[in-house]
Amino acid sequence: MVKDRNSFIFRFLSTLFVILAINFFLPRMMPGDPFSTTSADEVGEEIIVMTEEQRLYYMNYYGLDRPLYEQFLVYMKNLITGDLGRSIYYKMPVSDVIMLHLPWTMLIVVGAIVISTISGVVLGTLSAMNRKKGSDRIMMTGMIAFAEIPSFLLGLILLLIFSAYLRLFPLAGAITPFANYNGPAEQAWDILCHAFLPVVTLSLSQLTGVYLLTRNTLITVTTKDYIRTARAKGLGEKTVWIRHALRNALLPVVTRTGFMIGIMMGGVVLVESVFSYPGIGMTLRSAVVGRDYPLIQGILLIIAVSILICNLLVDKIYGKLDPRVVI
Amino acid sequence: MIKDIAASGNAGILSFIQALHINSIVSSIARTFSRFRTIAKPFSRFSTEGKIGILGILCIILMAVFAPVITIYPPQKITGDSLESPGPGHILGTDELGMDIWSQICYGARMSLTIGFAVAFLSGFGGGAVGILAGYMGGRIDQGLMRIIDVTMALPSFPLLIVISAFLGPSILNVIFILVLFSWAKPARIARSQTLSLKQNNYIIAARNYGAKPFYLLWRHIFPEVMPVLLVLVIGISSHAIIAEAGLAFLGLGDPTSKSWGMMLNHATGFRSIYFTPYWQWWLLPPLFMLIFLLLCLAFISRDMERILDPKLKIKKGF
Repeated sequence: MVKDRNSFIFRFLSTLFVILAINFFLPRMMPGDPFSTTSADEVGEEIIVMTEEQRLYYMNYYGLDRPLYEQFLVYMKNLITGDLGRSIYYKMPVSDVIMLHLPWTMLIVVGAIVISTISGVVLGTLSAMNRKKGSDRIMMTGMIAFAEIPSFLLGLILLLIFSAYLRLFPLAGAITPFANYNGPAEQAWDILCHAFLPVVTLSLSQLTGVYLLTRNTLITVTTKDYIRTARAKGLGEKTVWIRHALRNALLPVVTRTGFMIGIMMGGVVLVESVFSYPGIGMTLRSAVVGRDYPLIQGILLIIAVSILICNLLVDKIYGKLDPRVVI
Repeated sequence: MIKDIAASGNAGILSFIQALHINSIVSSIARTFSRFRTIAKPFSRFSTEGKIGILGILCIILMAVFAPVITIYPPQKITGDSLESPGPGHILGTDELGMDIWSQICYGARMSLTIGFAVAFLSGFGGGAVGILAGYMGGRIDQGLMRIIDVTMALPSFPLLIVISAFLGPSILNVIFILVLFSWAKPARIARSQTLSLKQNNYIIAARNYGAKPFYLLWRHIFPEVMPVLLVLVIGISSHAIIAEAGLAFLGLGDPTSKSWGMMLNHATGFRSIYFTPYWQWWLLPPLFMLIFLLLCLAFISRDMERILDPKLKIKKGF
């Protein structure tokens, strides 16, 4: 068991190291350099207005002229002290840029997790209660077909239907630009309206997983002896399903929720692009186009580390919830 | 007398047949027929959904192969006015540069299919081979490989995909290479665990004791057993690859010289005020619909194959 734990920590650390190494070396091997686009008006347009001297000065200023291993050591040292470097495009610390955009991403990711988990559990329970009936079959087939549509295509469809055709929701952004709010309630409503479609997209893409998991676990659980005992005691159907069956079936859903964060953090880049939502996904896209090395590294690091930590937490929490599992 | 004639006649016919090697021809025909039957048999086992999936994929493959035949205009030439609505000249209208959208759809199918199948075969069978070898050899190599697989599977693939493809530059080969790099681990892991359990079987131990060489064992005994599982995985990987390619192209990281469906989505959504004009109806919808159709077909097939290969379900269905 001790050996297991060691290998677990080893795995965590080695994955972290690989991510750090990729994170560091990759942007430096990319063609082009950040200074050819830094003064361009539009992203992607390359206007070189700097003289060779200025360029060398900036290369020196950002430490890009030193040997790679030296840069790597400096990078690791800065990371440990929590310094992610300065963004070349935004001209401020990377951690500040991330902090500026992370709340938007957190808003839609957390909202999507809450919605997809709750509705997945509710639908799964309904489906399990009505199994062998037509409604369960229809729901199942529909959900499975739904799961195969990737989130950004789903987002495009929702955007076309609800924003472009019905004009119910705003097309892009996270807040109405230049809006004057009469109080915080109106502002909250505005944010909610803008976040609604991205949240729905993300949660629909994860809904099927939770739904199928809840349904299948519930069906397995209801064959157990303690359910028969509960029924024999004369408990009502509602109590049997919710207090006895659902409580035991929810364990795997906890694990699923944790892994969902990881999948969503990957998909959020595309979904944010569809809705032009100013989270870290959009920022990553513009940083790749603008070759903003420190920012790319910072965002990749944030995404990767949050996924790793979620997986770690899930394993720990699962061990606590289900004592039969030994980690 | 008659019997004798018949016998001699028979013998004559027999010798005649032998002389013509008809025997071997007949047996070879029988063999090809049985092979056909083994191909055709699973098809009848597919459910309606699975059959729809296979037919859909066939349609898309035909569309991709015969793209020059069923289109009038080349996909990358300006052949009409800008943003023409669907009509007799251009079946699905034109985009902002005046290129025919139907041609782009047909030629775009080539891109999605190529990437999907190339990635799936390379990583499915390459990863599978690596996994079988590791499982068969065991020891240090196996341990080391498992570590690499663990790390590969824990990496956040899509964000890394974005950054790596931005770094390597957008070309079809690079996109395939990156996707293979991220998707070989799963088949390798499954092939390894299958091989480990197969290795314990008596018939394999017996074959080895009769002096079977490792290559013979792997090829004749282990690979055919692992193959069906790999096949299901290959379909799953191909749909992942198609999604990833479309996603990358949608972000503007695809091959700019090719007209893939993801690229079309990128151009259409990048067009200012596309949502305020009716253009999206013929510019954005076709690639969107085709991508979803392709992915659904693949999903139907893979679900059905899973059902056919799963021994537990097989017993229930009475196969």
